[in-house]
Amino acid sequence: MDAYFYIILGVGLLSTLICMAAGIMKKAPNDITILSVAAVELALLVYLVGSIVRVIAGEQIAGEAWEFWGYLATALLLPVAAVYWSVLERTRWSNFVLAAVGVTALVMAARMNQIWY
Amino acid sequence: MADTSEHTGKRPADTRNTGPGRLLIAVYAIFAISATARAGYQTLTKFSEAPLAYLLSAFAAVVYVVATVSLAKAGRTWFKVSLVAVLVELVGVIVVGALSLFDPVQFPHETVWSAFGRGYAFVPFILPILGLIWLYRRRPAAPAARI
Repeated sequence: MDAYFYIILGVGLLSTLICMAAGIMKKAPNDITILSVAAVELALLVYLVGSIVRVIAGEQIAGEAWEFWGYLATALLLPVAAVYWSVLERTRWSNFVLAAVGVTALVMAARMNQIWY
Repeated sequence: MADTSEHTGKRPADTRNTGPGRLLIAVYAIFAISATARAGYQTLTKFSEAPLAYLLSAFAAVVYVVATVSLAKAGRTWFKVSLVAVLVELVGVIVVGALSLFDPVQFPHETVWSAFGRGYAFVPFILPILGLIWLYRRRPAAPAARI
């Protein structure tokens, strides 16, 4: 597991905890929960830029390259889709939807690390 | 949004894409995407290794896609589609889960439903149960009760 994974681990878990806490406290999605999901997206973008730089620098992906990029592209779409889905209906349940982003991104980052190395 | 049900001419209550239903649909959507991607990858790259397991993967993917779409739609017909999809999913995870434990020769390769979804933190087993509870709570009213 590399630094990219640990960044997403930290940011993802934090985002999930913040969103779950807000959901349990019966709050609708607000700036804090949406920004925490935006932070997950930012962490994934860092992973994307870092991966592109590494490939250009000549590093080889051990597993299937298209599988790695497929995971990354899907992961990048998740926070956007979740925020869109959550602002359509601003209830506490939408915070649980946002909470799902962090853990999912974390699992996907773990899989991306396995493919890379 | 309440207006989606008005477009279809149904009672506003005849929807399942609100409140906890939104979380359910979101989790189903994640499984629909991951199961479809995984089944696609398996059948394209190593189908001959375990055709039965990978056909099941593909079937599971279809079930998740149907469940996601039907749960998001309003109306009585979509309710029935949801019910069938979630029931098929529950039977699937129980049967495949049991077979993968008792007959590892036929099911040596991982699918979403292997070992009751252990590879996915047992979410595939919990999801249809929560789905059935949600569908029961949001079941359409009996025709006689609708004027």
